[in-house]
Amino acid sequence: MEELASAVSDVLAERGFDPGELTLSPIPGGASRETWLIQDGDRRWVLRRDPKGSVSLVPMRDEFALILAASDAAVPVPEPIAFEDEGGRFGSPGLLMGYVEGISVAPRILRKPEYQGARSALTPQLGEALARIHAIDPRSLGNALPATEGDPALAQLEEWERQLDEIGEPLPAVELGLRWLRANAPEPVEPRLVHGDFRLGNFIVDENGLAAVIDWELAHLGDPAEDLGWLCIRSWRFGNDDRPVAGVGTLDEFLAAYERAGGEPLDPERVRYWEAFGNLKWAVICARQAHDHLSGVRRSHELASLGRRICEPEYDLLQLIS
Amino acid sequence: MQDRPTAPELLDSVAEYLFAELRPAVPREQRFKVLVAANVCAVVARELRAGDRPDREDLALFGELLGDHVTDARAAAAELSRRLRSGELDDRIDELAPRLEEHVRRKLEIARPDYADG
Repeated sequence: MEELASAVSDVLAERGFDPGELTLSPIPGGASRETWLIQDGDRRWVLRRDPKGSVSLVPMRDEFALILAASDAAVPVPEPIAFEDEGGRFGSPGLLMGYVEGISVAPRILRKPEYQGARSALTPQLGEALARIHAIDPRSLGNALPATEGDPALAQLEEWERQLDEIGEPLPAVELGLRWLRANAPEPVEPRLVHGDFRLGNFIVDENGLAAVIDWELAHLGDPAEDLGWLCIRSWRFGNDDRPVAGVGTLDEFLAAYERAGGEPLDPERVRYWEAFGNLKWAVICARQAHDHLSGVRRSHELASLGRRICEPEYDLLQLIS
Repeated sequence: MQDRPTAPELLDSVAEYLFAELRPAVPREQRFKVLVAANVCAVVARELRAGDRPDREDLALFGELLGDHVTDARAAAAELSRRLRSGELDDRIDELAPRLEEHVRRKLEIARPDYADG
């Protein structure tokens, strides 16, 4: 770890930060990346790197490119500082970012009195941030995202079908959902940059609301309504079922802010389609997490318990398609 | 025959301890893990109390939907999944959705009894 601290110190010095004595401490959470908090007395940074030998969905290099593009587009993100590739000074591919004060624990944001102001501010802030993400020219991202061909809905369905097959769990309600979603895919639109995991757990929120959008690992090119459908699934409302947008707001309120910020109008029927898809995706993710426990990739009672939560998004999926 | 407490009663006792005593006593970042552990005990207790009824009902449902005699709920779910994936049931989706909801409700009854009508 001293080696890592000295590597980070060198990189910070190169970027003109003149760091003092650095301390590193692991930040828990985040299944697929290691996250370190770096401090030198009063200043703080964050290092995210791949665990050694892991393969991630969006390589670290591309995550750095995405955060740079988002930052240029005035999306609130942590300040991107440096990227080191495989064989570089961080030991594995990693990116160094500014630290953003706040929390990303959804139930706390939704319940604690000190976040009352944040809750009222969040829906329009999220609408604005998402409009800015969707306005990023995919061509400006270079090769950061695989090119999609054909229908973005069918491309996503194939991806999650493939993941389901890797797990091998028999889930007839999910299979039914896959068939319905194939038969009812909306007319394809020009593919946009889609964050892919746009929900309360991936925002840093402070008393004033949205401070940063994080975790770009599931970013891809696709239908912009996909991000909003995902944001609206019941699992991310944490009991605030009457507030479809992340448990804090209404669809109308969100769409008004999205359009004010230059977003193309999103048809609520299309959003509903992607909400159904979002439930399918969450069901598969739950199954995959339980499978990671069962196969020994990562033993954890939290992951194991998600196997018994598959039925929640299955139920919501069936409600949305009936 | 085992002495009391029964298996679900034992799990109730562990769930109560985890939820009411241990959870407030551990550091904040550990509390969610303790809550998950308490919930897991509650799920298993409900599953034990339900006995083989949910499996029998699923078996009957899958047998009816497949039009076959089936003896194992998991194997029947796999066969139904295979037929759905192949597209051969595409013209029955509207009919199958509420039937599969019966199956999903039986899972929710064990895992999250307040969810379906919440």
